[in-house]
Amino acid sequence: MTAFPLTDLPTHVSASSSTTDLLQRLRVEIDHAAHLLPAQGPITVFIHHNTLHAFEHLPFDTAVKQAASIFGCEPYLSEDRYRDELVRGRIRFDSLRTILQADLGDRANDLVVGLVSRLELRLAMLTCPIWTGPADELRWFMEETDALRRCRSDVSATERGRLISETQRWVMRDVRGNAAHRELFVGFDERSIESWDSATWEAFALQALWHVCRTGVRSVRPAVSSPSGFLRPRDLLFRLTGLDIDTWVHEVLIRFCAAFLDQGVAHWPLPNRSAGLYHSFLKMYRLWGGPRERWLSSLSAEAARLQDQKVGPLESILESLVALGVSEEEWGEFLSATLLALRGWGGMVREVESRGDRVPHPIPPGSLVEFVAIRLLLDRVALGHAAAEELGLVGPLSRVRSELSRRLPPPVPIAAEQRAMPVFQLAQIFGWSPGELHSLSCEAWPLLLHEIESFNEIERRRIFHLAYEKQLRVRTLDALALHAPRRRVGPPRLQVITCLDEREESYRRHLEELAPDCDTYGTAGFFAVPMYYRGAAEAYFVPLCPIVMTPNNWVEEEPVEEKVHRRVRKVQKALGVAAHKAHVGTRSLAVGALLTTTFGMLASLPLVGRTLFPRLAAQLRRLFGRAVQHPPQTCLSLERAPGIEPSPENGHRGFTLSEMAAMTERLLRDIGLVDQFARLVLILGHGSGSLNNPHRSAYDCGACGGSPGAPNARALAAMLNNRSVRLKLADRGILIPDTSWFVGGYHNTCDDSVSLFDQDLPASHRRELEQIQHKLDQASDRNAHERCRRFMSAPLTLTPAEARRHVEARSEDLAQTRPELGHATNAICYVGRRERTRGLFFDRRAFLASYDPTQDDAVGTILARTLTAVFPVCGGISLEYYFSHVDAAGYGAGTKLPHNVTSMLGVMDGAQSDLRTGLPWQMTEIHEPVRLLIVCECTPRVMHHILANNQVIQRMTENAWVQLALQSPDTGAISVYQAGEFRPYTPRVSQLPTAPTSADWYRGWRGHLEFAEIG
Amino acid sequence: MNTSSFVLTFLGTMIVAAPAALVAVLGICSLIDRRLSETVTARGVHAAAILGLASVVGLCVLMLVWDTRTVVIGLGHWVHIGAAELHEQHYHFSVKLIFDRLSILFGALSFILCGTIGVFATRYMHREAGYNRFFVLYSLFMAGMVTAAVAGTIETLFLGWELVGLSSALLVAFFQERPAPPRNGLLIWVVYRVSDAALLLAAIVLHHMSGEGDFEKLLGTGPWPQGQVYVSGTEALVVGMLLLIAAAGKSALLPFSGWLPRAMEGPTPSSAVFYGALSVHLGAYLLLRVSPLLDAAPGLSVVVLLLGLLTALYAALVGQTQTDIKSALSFASLTQLGLIVAEIGAGHWLPVWFRYVPLLHLLGHACLRTLQFIRAPSYLQDRRMLENAIGSRLSMTQVASGDESRLLPLWIYRFALERGYLDALLIDYVARPFLQVFRWLDRWERKGIEALAGDTSSEAIPTSRCLEDVEQAV
Repeated sequence: MTAFPLTDLPTHVSASSSTTDLLQRLRVEIDHAAHLLPAQGPITVFIHHNTLHAFEHLPFDTAVKQAASIFGCEPYLSEDRYRDELVRGRIRFDSLRTILQADLGDRANDLVVGLVSRLELRLAMLTCPIWTGPADELRWFMEETDALRRCRSDVSATERGRLISETQRWVMRDVRGNAAHRELFVGFDERSIESWDSATWEAFALQALWHVCRTGVRSVRPAVSSPSGFLRPRDLLFRLTGLDIDTWVHEVLIRFCAAFLDQGVAHWPLPNRSAGLYHSFLKMYRLWGGPRERWLSSLSAEAARLQDQKVGPLESILESLVALGVSEEEWGEFLSATLLALRGWGGMVREVESRGDRVPHPIPPGSLVEFVAIRLLLDRVALGHAAAEELGLVGPLSRVRSELSRRLPPPVPIAAEQRAMPVFQLAQIFGWSPGELHSLSCEAWPLLLHEIESFNEIERRRIFHLAYEKQLRVRTLDALALHAPRRRVGPPRLQVITCLDEREESYRRHLEELAPDCDTYGTAGFFAVPMYYRGAAEAYFVPLCPIVMTPNNWVEEEPVEEKVHRRVRKVQKALGVAAHKAHVGTRSLAVGALLTTTFGMLASLPLVGRTLFPRLAAQLRRLFGRAVQHPPQTCLSLERAPGIEPSPENGHRGFTLSEMAAMTERLLRDIGLVDQFARLVLILGHGSGSLNNPHRSAYDCGACGGSPGAPNARALAAMLNNRSVRLKLADRGILIPDTSWFVGGYHNTCDDSVSLFDQDLPASHRRELEQIQHKLDQASDRNAHERCRRFMSAPLTLTPAEARRHVEARSEDLAQTRPELGHATNAICYVGRRERTRGLFFDRRAFLASYDPTQDDAVGTILARTLTAVFPVCGGISLEYYFSHVDAAGYGAGTKLPHNVTSMLGVMDGAQSDLRTGLPWQMTEIHEPVRLLIVCECTPRVMHHILANNQVIQRMTENAWVQLALQSPDTGAISVYQAGEFRPYTPRVSQLPTAPTSADWYRGWRGHLEFAEIG
Repeated sequence: MNTSSFVLTFLGTMIVAAPAALVAVLGICSLIDRRLSETVTARGVHAAAILGLASVVGLCVLMLVWDTRTVVIGLGHWVHIGAAELHEQHYHFSVKLIFDRLSILFGALSFILCGTIGVFATRYMHREAGYNRFFVLYSLFMAGMVTAAVAGTIETLFLGWELVGLSSALLVAFFQERPAPPRNGLLIWVVYRVSDAALLLAAIVLHHMSGEGDFEKLLGTGPWPQGQVYVSGTEALVVGMLLLIAAAGKSALLPFSGWLPRAMEGPTPSSAVFYGALSVHLGAYLLLRVSPLLDAAPGLSVVVLLLGLLTALYAALVGQTQTDIKSALSFASLTQLGLIVAEIGAGHWLPVWFRYVPLLHLLGHACLRTLQFIRAPSYLQDRRMLENAIGSRLSMTQVASGDESRLLPLWIYRFALERGYLDALLIDYVARPFLQVFRWLDRWERKGIEALAGDTSSEAIPTSRCLEDVEQAV
């Protein structure tokens, strides 16, 4: 029924000689626009990364502002939030002043039109909310509230008095009898002016002030609100008619993309999937396809034409651009706006296309281009239909676009009242009288307005944010500077190596409190053992290493008793197949009927049990499942004969001895553990177990690519126990005594359990291990107790043992949306010796990487390789939390409650929506969005060398995506990175608060805490 | 005997009163802006569910002990016109609760599921901005559900029916800051109105036939399922068809099925208990309640059987292609629902005991599906666990073999992917013509008034934005 051609010139486009060049340009433009798409891969392997990674080449403040306008998201917290923090004391008034001063430099003390210094003006605008609103609201506000009768409540009595008396003076001297000022007296009885009371004078002063402000603003050239971003035809149509054709297009596009990308939710896969997104779409939609929506009626003919004329995806995009009347100069903007309209799905197409190794069913390269092609095809069809239906616009689509922009009403200039309002409020705060403002010259008004308006909301929030960060930085650096290095008591009885994760900070602290003769170390949680790993009870290999690495080796967990294992596997498999059949069955017709009628009622048992008694139900389940759950005893097949190529095949798995020696040496040197080995060394990987949590992988170890790091810890321990490896290590100068034994383990950060692997120790060590296990258990209880203070649903009066039960129940609870709080408190990263931080209460806010500067060379080789992991990984975690918190709906994934797992790749909101990337609100709720403060124990010279030789570190530091400070290895003095150099830092306080134990310090408090010295 | 009837009346009243009291407490506190804290709300929900469930169980036990198969509790005659002995003018309207093998079981199910999911939701909704709103609507739902389950007259049923519909639609629109949930909530509300209108018409027809809306009158006094209807075959057919339309809307049977996946906009617990378990089964429950009517009308039974089978086939087909877990579950739900309805229809030709089969099917399905729904966010983990147990990836072979079009015609796949075009069918080809007619009438009215008034006073007539709003919504 659409009466216009969908494309204008399909023939001459293809005939043009420069088509290839055009197509090439188009491809580049699409590729360029695609960088703005969220770079989040499949949700099963959640990798934290900087949400604005594409903007890292820009300074942080510029980047967040640019991104805010491109994505329509918030750059910082809201002004109200910052003001609350100011009231709470979390932002200090004097830091606002110093930051403003530094920000303005020489311009700070300039007088603004002779009234007030720029610094004071800005400071007032920060501390007192200066409000303005839409013209109508403002009019209502002035007429219906007492804004014109009483001064603002935050105006001091002095300023109010000054305003009134100066007004009196001015009125009596200059205004009375002056015909030009007649209107000021409207509503006042001028004759009795000498007997006016102070309330009348106050009202008069305010009205006069308002009048003068408006008159002043009117004398300035009116401002027009700047056009916001690029407008797609859909945006024009939406503004004109309120009809959103994106809802039409997205419904079809999401459904189709989900079917195309599906990794196994649907029982029937998409037909012709292997032909690619574009061709499978055309093939399906060229069918008449029943009574489809009316707007789709012209699609089948168009799809048939594209397919019959063999128009490829890129050519089709070119056609669409021409048809929509998008000129070549607009391509970039148009394409990025188009891609961003459905950014989650577009981003997922790009991710699955580029990292096919991360999904079971990869898609062909070029899929993103095909995605754009069908999107534009649908856009064309929808726009044509809507324009004809809604506006009666019939004709070539290219003209529809210009017609729409023509019909759009011109932008309304900002009303004078809207601009006068801030001046009116500031005048009250500073006690500027109407007389003073009245006497301002014509040149002064534009200056004044410019001064006020240039310190706009975003600028104010930027300053607030700097002050917000500064407070925490000062506290951290004070704590580090004042804390005297503390070493363990006596010879080391136990050494524990954990992930540098900030959730281990409290665990390590509690362990050290319990066992003062114990040393703890932190390092990236894959423990320098990158591998593809498959557990004995697992179906396939998973990469366990940071996302930037690709492992070269395969490791498998093997049962010790092959026969028993085979039997167990058989039972497991039979049960698994039965469970799968039953699950599929309940979704089918006949089997479903049989199952629900007969056994359906039995489902009420787990339903009620698991909801009402999650912990008990879990224990029962474990008891029941123990028989088949785990093979009784396993070991890792780690050793590969030299000269054999590594591969997943039997006999090709594992590492050669020299590979093992290299990896272990690297790890030990990284953390500075090269002598004084204790009799027992534990290596604890970590992960998180929770239910009903599609984002579960985001709680696991980031350094293991969003999987638990237990196998890495176990592998490292096994390597270090290997006699041949020890011999090789001895050759390289690391002498591990025969009395030392390494044990791998796993810390579940959700239920705080610690389990150890391969406990078949020499008899000499067994007793010690038992004692140590007791300590570990106690540390777990205490750690759970410290965590519980952050959970509103856990009473503050819990004992450590009760707290442990509480976190265990959380991890087994289907209804729990906050099984744990993840990295929600991260803020600091310390890279240095543990002595520097041992005994400091860091409130689970610090990533702690062990590094011994005394063992490093002059150019910091070891530090450099530690930092290449720390910057992107810890910085990425911190920035992802930052953005997901400051704009939970835009950068984050919103609330978890309506999330719906789709295609095994991500979550949608409810029935159908864009894929939600970023972190859900429940994960980031208690986070303080600050940039990570990285403190390294090294000299400026070493750091300058590292910065100069490492682009990622340099870019993140110079563009201020992280904050950087150094602590001198010798003196412990602190210096802070500022504009390319390290400036010495002097502590603001002379003493840190102290407490005998951690619990004494955090007891009874839910919020973030100051750092203190423990013990 | 007097004591026993008093105890039974007391327990029966408690069953409805407990959730109603919860609605009153939560509702009034919200209205006067004294929001209750999370803990107090949670305790209230638990108390109401436990009290209600205890009453159901108590009643059930007493009925078994005293060997009573049906208990009817009258809560007053609210309207009474004409003398009872003059049958012609007689009209009355009463609130009555009926407890028999059907309603006791369904009532108990309602309390168990509402209670369990209520506990679930008190933790799941923790610290959510709309916590209070959720539980006000949730309690409204529980009250409506129980009322509809134990209703003894069609008016009482309608009351519960409406409360269920209203609270469901509002909970679908729970996340009101995004545009999609209110849009889908409105769509569901529109479908529900169609079904409500059918139920209301059925009530009127019933009153017209017998002067009262009591099920006893319509279905005979025999205990369920052995009712004996006193109406003629045609009358049974008319009332039955209207009730079937009502049931089809509520249970998302064809052709109304399009709304079911759209209902998944709300928080997981409400989706689970409404669309997995209770709300969608209400239509089937209504048909079960009037099953003696089906016994009397073979034509009606044929229609019910066919509609059930068609829905089951449709949903099974569509369910195969759904790529998100909640839609897949909702179509799985619909498949079984269609079968339950078909079983109800088939009951006409089968012995009386077969009436218990759809009831059992319904109860079992409700429990199982609720469990599956609340576990839906665990899908990824469950799947990984299964794959580990089986030792290989699932469905690898399926997807890898790209070209199935030889086995499966492409149009069937598209039919399934686009959910049978039901949305388009209802919106573009049913609702739209209606709107166009109304628009046309509106224009003519305007012109007529202008002609009568003699000037262009069209400004004075408010434009019917309402129609456009609805159209926008659909």
